[in-house]
Amino acid sequence: MSIKDILTPFTAWKRVAKEPVTVRDPFNDRPGADRYRGFHKNDVDKCIGCGTCEAICENEAIDLVPFKDPVSGDSGLRPRVDYGRCCWCALCVDVCTTNSLSLSNEYKWIATDPEEFRFTPGIEEKAWDKNEKGWKKPEGNYEFYNLERVSMEHLHPEERNDSFIEMVKGFSKEQAILEADRCVECGICTATCPAHMGIPEYIKAIRNDDMEEGMRILYETNPLPEICGRICTHKCETVCSIGHKGDPLSIRWLKRYIADQIPEDKYKEILNTNNLEVNDKKVAIIGAGPSGLSAAHYLRLMGYQVTIFEQYEKAGGMMRYGIPEYRLPYDQIDKDINYILSLGVEIKYNTRIGKDITLDQLGKDFDAVFAGTGLHLGRGTGIEGSDNQHVYYSTDMLRKITSGEEIEVADSIVVIGGGNVAMDITRSLARLQMQKFDKVNIITTSLETEENMPADREEVVESREEGATVYPGWAPQSIEIKDGIPQGLHVVKCNSLFDETGRFNPQCEMDVKNYYPGHMIVQSIGQGIDISYISEEFKENIKFGPRGRVETDEYFQTGVKWFFMGGDIIQGPDVIHGIANGHKAAVGIDRYLRESDFPNN
Amino acid sequence: MQQIIQDIESRFTITDKETRRNDLCFLTVDKLQAISLVTYLRDYQGYASLTLLTAVDWIEEGNFQLTYLLNNPSTRTEIGVRTMIDRENATMESTHHLWENIQTYQRELKEMFGIDFPGSPRIDEDFILEGWDNIPPYRRDFDTKKYSEETYFPRPGRETNDPSTYMKSKLYPND
Amino acid sequence: MDIKKIFQINNDRSSYPEIGEDGKPIIDLSSHKYVKIWQGPQHPGVTGNMALELTLSGDEIVESKTHVGYLHRGFEKLMERRKFIQCFPTCVRLCVAEPDPNEYLLATCVEELSGIEVPETAQWLRMLVLEMSRLQVLLRGVPGQAGTFALGLGYQWGSYIRDLILDRFEELTGGRVYHMYILPGGVRGLLPDGFKKRLEENLKLADEFVKNINDLMFNNIVFKKRAKGLGYIPKDYIDRYGVYGPAARAAGVMRDIRKTHPYLKYAELDFEPYTTTESDVYARSVVRWHDLKMTIDLIRQIMAKMPEKGEIKAPTPNVMHWRIPKGETYVKCESSRGEYGMYMVTDGSDTPRRVNLKGPSYTHANALLEKLLINANIADTAGIMVSLATCPPEIER
Ligand SMILES: Cc1cc2nc3c(=O)[nH]c(=O)nc-3n(C[C@H](O)[C@H](O)[C@H](O)COP(=O)(O)OP(=O)(O)OC[C@H]3O[C@@H](n4cnc5c(N)ncnc54)[C@H](O)[C@@H]3O)c2cc1C
Ligand code: SF4
Ligand code: SF4
Repeated sequence: MSIKDILTPFTAWKRVAKEPVTVRDPFNDRPGADRYRGFHKNDVDKCIGCGTCEAICENEAIDLVPFKDPVSGDSGLRPRVDYGRCCWCALCVDVCTTNSLSLSNEYKWIATDPEEFRFTPGIEEKAWDKNEKGWKKPEGNYEFYNLERVSMEHLHPEERNDSFIEMVKGFSKEQAILEADRCVECGICTATCPAHMGIPEYIKAIRNDDMEEGMRILYETNPLPEICGRICTHKCETVCSIGHKGDPLSIRWLKRYIADQIPEDKYKEILNTNNLEVNDKKVAIIGAGPSGLSAAHYLRLMGYQVTIFEQYEKAGGMMRYGIPEYRLPYDQIDKDINYILSLGVEIKYNTRIGKDITLDQLGKDFDAVFAGTGLHLGRGTGIEGSDNQHVYYSTDMLRKITSGEEIEVADSIVVIGGGNVAMDITRSLARLQMQKFDKVNIITTSLETEENMPADREEVVESREEGATVYPGWAPQSIEIKDGIPQGLHVVKCNSLFDETGRFNPQCEMDVKNYYPGHMIVQSIGQGIDISYISEEFKENIKFGPRGRVETDEYFQTGVKWFFMGGDIIQGPDVIHGIANGHKAAVGIDRYLRESDFPNN
Repeated sequence: MQQIIQDIESRFTITDKETRRNDLCFLTVDKLQAISLVTYLRDYQGYASLTLLTAVDWIEEGNFQLTYLLNNPSTRTEIGVRTMIDRENATMESTHHLWENIQTYQRELKEMFGIDFPGSPRIDEDFILEGWDNIPPYRRDFDTKKYSEETYFPRPGRETNDPSTYMKSKLYPND
Repeated sequence: MDIKKIFQINNDRSSYPEIGEDGKPIIDLSSHKYVKIWQGPQHPGVTGNMALELTLSGDEIVESKTHVGYLHRGFEKLMERRKFIQCFPTCVRLCVAEPDPNEYLLATCVEELSGIEVPETAQWLRMLVLEMSRLQVLLRGVPGQAGTFALGLGYQWGSYIRDLILDRFEELTGGRVYHMYILPGGVRGLLPDGFKKRLEENLKLADEFVKNINDLMFNNIVFKKRAKGLGYIPKDYIDRYGVYGPAARAAGVMRDIRKTHPYLKYAELDFEPYTTTESDVYARSVVRWHDLKMTIDLIRQIMAKMPEKGEIKAPTPNVMHWRIPKGETYVKCESSRGEYGMYMVTDGSDTPRRVNLKGPSYTHANALLEKLLINANIADTAGIMVSLATCPPEIER
């Protein structure tokens, strides 16, 4: 101990003369830092009400409350925050699938009513709504889930351009689980899927590596999973919440993955359909397309005796006779269909209703009838020269390719059409040209401009990869014929298809011309309905809509009580709508046959 | 570390081992050997410091796992000695003679998991809980959420919607 | 009762309490030789909410029992029903004064058990935050020791600089007290523009503070008289009682995880933790004062060496269903109080099977404090307790 120890502490007195460091002015604002985690903000126009913020909040501070009516891709719900629970961790911000949610840098909020501290950001206006500062999801590679798809392996163009073997390889287990991991289970997609499949549920089954459970979930709403897992129009993927910041989930390929894992002989055991009951009611189905097969499947599960009448020698409808094999191999179609038939569904091939049996006869022999006869009439352009014998309809050609009939393959071909069917025929003919001439010479032209082409983007890209030339934005004018053989197609520039009122009204520049040489022309501009099996007097009893389509109620029941219709002739056109229609019609038929108070009885 | 494990394996029956890092491994031994192993490690292998003693409830298997985590300050390594004890009438030999601080862990385990260490000082005194009349709360079958719902009142006026169910109810209620 | 006897002062206390046949002291409260008082749970001389049940003979403590349970939140159990990412806002609340090590430990457990490598830049940022956190604690912790002997001035000086450090935390992490910055996979942001400059300004004030506090505490006859020789911890207690960090280093035993088990980028920094051997309250104070100095230096080293840019977070599984295979681990770091560790057991699900947090207070405030208080003067209780940096939240979690 020294004298120093007594004196030194007094040096503290030197602080007496110093300015105090405390803040004197409590009235001036002291804004939070740029990243401050203050009160919530939400850009409600960007938010889709997916509820991922709610799911991550460990404090259960968030509720989803109605804001507007739901539409495809937006639940119409918005997050409401309870500041009695929130701890301002901002996990909700970081996980938000649309980046709509953020925290402001405001931290002062005084109110006497505790209820006020429960509010819906972005809807209930707050003073800090316009604060630019505050917590946002950190930039850079900072994500709570993978925004990038697990890429799907395809055959290379040179491996596939001369054969019809399947070009998409399918996921391995590791790939499927990785892809399934990206799902946030919001369920926004379910409403958009026409069949309302349990998408998050079956994706979860993949994560759990429980294929049997996955299979059961698929079959609840879709009896053609191998098929849909390959060629579904996958509307669900367009609304996937992950798609707002990154690539949407590969929902279609995941579905295929599940179905691919289960061998055909295990289906009945897994789906518990070994001993289905049989009741004494009989239902006839016209057409073995997806809608007919779906109706047959669900009716059979309910115990009905089901007979399908199909005009061709094989079942599948457009799935078999339209969609090319390289996209949908026949053995996969068979796998799905065989299972349905194995449930005890009877099928009469080569039987055309309206020709071999009348509809009225069916009505007498069966308790109810469902027709899913699809669109099989080729639609023509009607331009000069289109009646030449070397001018074809795409659907006819595709059907012949499927049934192994000889078709003409010219050394140069022009395809008219910009939809997926046009791409299918283009790519099929390109393969045949490759086989026959070892080179591809095919031009496909559409009215629509490149960005408006109805075909899927990858279809156009892959057509080009396979050697086809695609010229969008041209309107066909006439086919040049010499010695009874087409020489080429005259076209003019087409700028737009629809007028302001949204009506089909192509606007062309008649003096901007082009000419595509080709010795064979294929028209692929849509298909028409053939319901000639409905007799004239029968027609009087059913209602028709404005465009000549039959009108049905929500159960696809027509004005004739025992007669139900669905699939392409009513809605769509795609496979999944057909499946959904068939399922709904099955429920309708069941209710019609069982419930005396069914609305239409 | 590998050497020590070999040495231990020559003396004790190690039923499971997991090398986590080159300075941390876990060894599982029978309940009857656990205390001897812990003592051996402390007295002959330099694992003089007790890092922690805690339990894990493997309710599905009907076991509690006890983990004695020991630290060797000179080799700077740690060994976790794991042993499984029966969940029913869970008891374990006390080790309060080895470390002065272990009685606190044992008291907590008695209270939170219901694992008894007969003879451990103050083992029956309340540690954290006072007047607790439920099952020991750190057991897996004690449901914290249920408890809080029964004990506290929820704030009225909260309700939420599941996006997919809500969309169904609005867009396609009959499907 | 003999009135005279009550007022009779017996200077020889060695006979109290008598030791019974079982070796334990016989304390008979009805004999009027002893009085029992509670220090805490509401008491300015107690760190946090904790109670000491003290039995006194005169002003000398003859028996001491620590009581905790005043802020048990069951966080360990609550985490068992939370997804790993959801544990992140929960675990930080384990300790208010120094929350960052909790974040670090949780993140590291999760990363280690799922085999995730944290990007370089994120590791430096983690280290920076952990040192800033230590600085922020010691700015009050060092002068706080003098506070227990009624010298509150330094604590106020420290509080000011701590507040400035909290400003830096606010701009880096978005929060002042609970930073929620180190999350499984990485961290939540790079340094804002100009951050280093502003932090350096604060560090200059801290340098000055270090000097002033030296004058105020360690050249102070009162502090010396009160702290020297007080709360002596014999070296052989270190392992028997579980003594960690500064308290162990004041007893001449090198315990600093940063040095003994270098984590993050500590191996790339140049530092030597201070040790001494007196092992009393004074020595522990000095060790912590050196720690404060060292931390300021470490922050400067980190700022000089850390990369400016780079990835801040490794890709992780989707946090909404992050599952971790069955396994267990123990990770540790050096908090301002000593070894701070987390034991995590996973079972393949998306929630932890068990999380157990082990902080130095668990042993310091129970077995050790109870022992050290025997024969101490009631007025020195707070001094001894604070010198062990006891923090109840980490005892009862
Ligand atoms: C080339 C092409 C590619 C396509 N690609 C896709 C695609 O990738 N994804 C997708 O989702 N959709 C695609 N589609 C559409 C899809 O194939 C159809 O929307 C779907 O098959 C329609 O199903 P459906 O049950 O209504 O009718 P169809 O599938 O057309 O089936 C109708 C069935 O009824 C039979 N039938 C018709 N009339 C009678 C009668 N009088 N008596 C007995 N049987 C009769 C037909 O032979 C046929 O088998 C494509 C269509 C085509 C043409
Ligand atoms: S996560 Fe984002 S988009 Fe989804 S509901 Fe919450 S705020 Fe809206
Ligand atoms: S900030 Fe955290 S606690 Fe608050 S609502 Fe968001 S997730 Fe929940």
